[in-house]
Amino acid sequence: MTGVKMQLIFQSFLSCCLLATVAHCVELEVNPELKTKLSTWFGSRLRRDLNSVSVEKTAEYFVRPEDIRDTLLPHSSTHTNVRTKRSKNSSNHSKGQGCSLVTCTVHDLAHRLHMLNNKLKIGTAPRDKIRAHGYGRRRRSLPVRRVSLRLEQGRLRPMWSIKDSQVHKLEALLRRT
Amino acid sequence: MAKSKMDSIERSGVVALILLCHLTKIFVTASLEVNETQQQHPTNVYHDMGVTRNKIVTAQFECYQKIMKDDPQGREEPVCNRTWDGWMCWDDTTAGANSEQHCPDYFQDFDPSEMVNKICTDSGIWFLHPESNRTWTNYTRCTEHTNEGRVTAMNLFYLALIGHGLSLTSLFVSLGIFFHFKSLSCQRITLHKNLFFSFVLNSVITMIWLTGVANNQELVQRNPTSCKVSLFIHLYLFACNYFWMLCEGIYLHTLIVVAVFAEKQHLMWYYLLGWGFPLIPATIHAVARSYYYNDNCWISSKTSLLYIIHGPICAALLVNLFFLLNIVRVLITKLKVTHQAESSLYMKAVRATLILVPLLGIQYVLFPYKPEGRVSSEIYDYIMHILMHYQGLLVATIFCFFNGEVQAVLRRHWNQYNIQFGSSIGNHSEAMRSASYTASSITEVQGCYSIDGHTEHMNGKGFHDADASILKSDSPFA
Repeated sequence: MTGVKMQLIFQSFLSCCLLATVAHCVELEVNPELKTKLSTWFGSRLRRDLNSVSVEKTAEYFVRPEDIRDTLLPHSSTHTNVRTKRSKNSSNHSKGQGCSLVTCTVHDLAHRLHMLNNKLKIGTAPRDKIRAHGYGRRRRSLPVRRVSLRLEQGRLRPMWSIKDSQVHKLEALLRRT
Repeated sequence: MAKSKMDSIERSGVVALILLCHLTKIFVTASLEVNETQQQHPTNVYHDMGVTRNKIVTAQFECYQKIMKDDPQGREEPVCNRTWDGWMCWDDTTAGANSEQHCPDYFQDFDPSEMVNKICTDSGIWFLHPESNRTWTNYTRCTEHTNEGRVTAMNLFYLALIGHGLSLTSLFVSLGIFFHFKSLSCQRITLHKNLFFSFVLNSVITMIWLTGVANNQELVQRNPTSCKVSLFIHLYLFACNYFWMLCEGIYLHTLIVVAVFAEKQHLMWYYLLGWGFPLIPATIHAVARSYYYNDNCWISSKTSLLYIIHGPICAALLVNLFFLLNIVRVLITKLKVTHQAESSLYMKAVRATLILVPLLGIQYVLFPYKPEGRVSSEIYDYIMHILMHYQGLLVATIFCFFNGEVQAVLRRHWNQYNIQFGSSIGNHSEAMRSASYTASSITEVQGCYSIDGHTEHMNGKGFHDADASILKSDSPFA
């Protein structure tokens, strides 16, 4: 009799698990608002991972939609928030990410092997830049002119302009730092 | 009783139906999703050597944007100004502090787990290198241990390959034994067969993944769907392996602790849990990965999405730990009743525990988290890889080659073979020995059957024998 009881308990536990998963998905289907909320939450959590890790994605992300938008609308202040968020996130990479459980060591090994055999990155870091005369601060020359897009007769045309408040701001900044 | 059984069967049928519908739905969405993402992202165009440069320029761009965004407010205490040092971005740092960041991954010999540091002196200027008298960031630690790391990774790779090779051989041999000798078949052995089979599949797919995908740069660059499918299968079989360990735990627990007098357990639930349930996390992972972290061949391990697979696995291992403790507790109490000497009692308990540890995968629960620090994490890596890749060998050895029943059956067949083909060298004493082995093997086989089929006939007096025989058949030395 105890066996039957145990069996019943076990079965009901299993069916509860299944029901929970089914209910969860049904709920997502019914409630699209919740779905979008969830996906934005996931996206904001995980896009950060993408930025730092995948070597291959960098080329793709080199010019991002936000950057283009920024060039189009140089005076809009609404997009600055987006940009800072991204740069804040990308600065602290490879910390607290990934799976640190024991059973993940297999994936870690595969990832390490993949990284070791990555012929696409430069193999060795330039020694002179690590040594005493190397990295500290470097000044980069600024572009004198800057391209911007203007709307003329319904068409976007590139315009070279010298006067731009952002360039001046950048110059001032470079002098300061 | 019969009615409740019918009810439960009916209910299980409904649940299975729901599960099936649910799974097909997930599959449809998953395949749609994969197609969509493939259309959105055509194959990556690769610039040779451009990756490093692109990374640095992107980081610089972001750094300047960040510096421009937040202007420094009036502060009293002296700070080192935020700056771009050529490789990395540094925030405002209070005077006298030491700012640290992880190494960038621009170069192959930079280890992203090491730290870069930049010192802000007390006067509020960044540290100047005494030799060159220039602002200087300490990147020396990034390349310090790269070679050791490379050697370790290759060692672990070969260790894994050898381990899986040995495991495969021993598992094939033991599966052959289990399938060939019909006299061995009982529920426990059926569970063992499934566990061994999941070990075999897991070993095969892991070897394929490590050699064929992780070591194959061109394949990862081409990023075909097949390599993502193989990761899906890899994760599914990996989870299957651990869920079969859970099945073994549930079975033993039910047998020893819950229901000594129960009739034959329904293996259908074990099959569903062992082969069916892992599909759910594997599918969820695949869908989530294609949405949120669609890297090439899904090879990166630096994503939290892996918890979708490894969370349930660790939960299963924890449940197994509970089962193990409970089983050992019950064994000790029941052995105490039989008035054995204390020392031999505890020896038996310890032996049973040690034997059950690899079967139930308890070794992973004992060291759940990777330690910080280079040397300790390296030692941890070696231990964990050995435990993980040689577990199949260990389980096959303990539960097949060292198993009393299996040894007896093998001996009997060997002797029959000898007698049949008239090797007249076999003298009298050998014949005697074979007779005794036959006798012992019959009792052992009967013991196996008695647990399965006839336990309900046992009365209160007999259940110690059932436990003892379980102990006996599970431990090689008892």
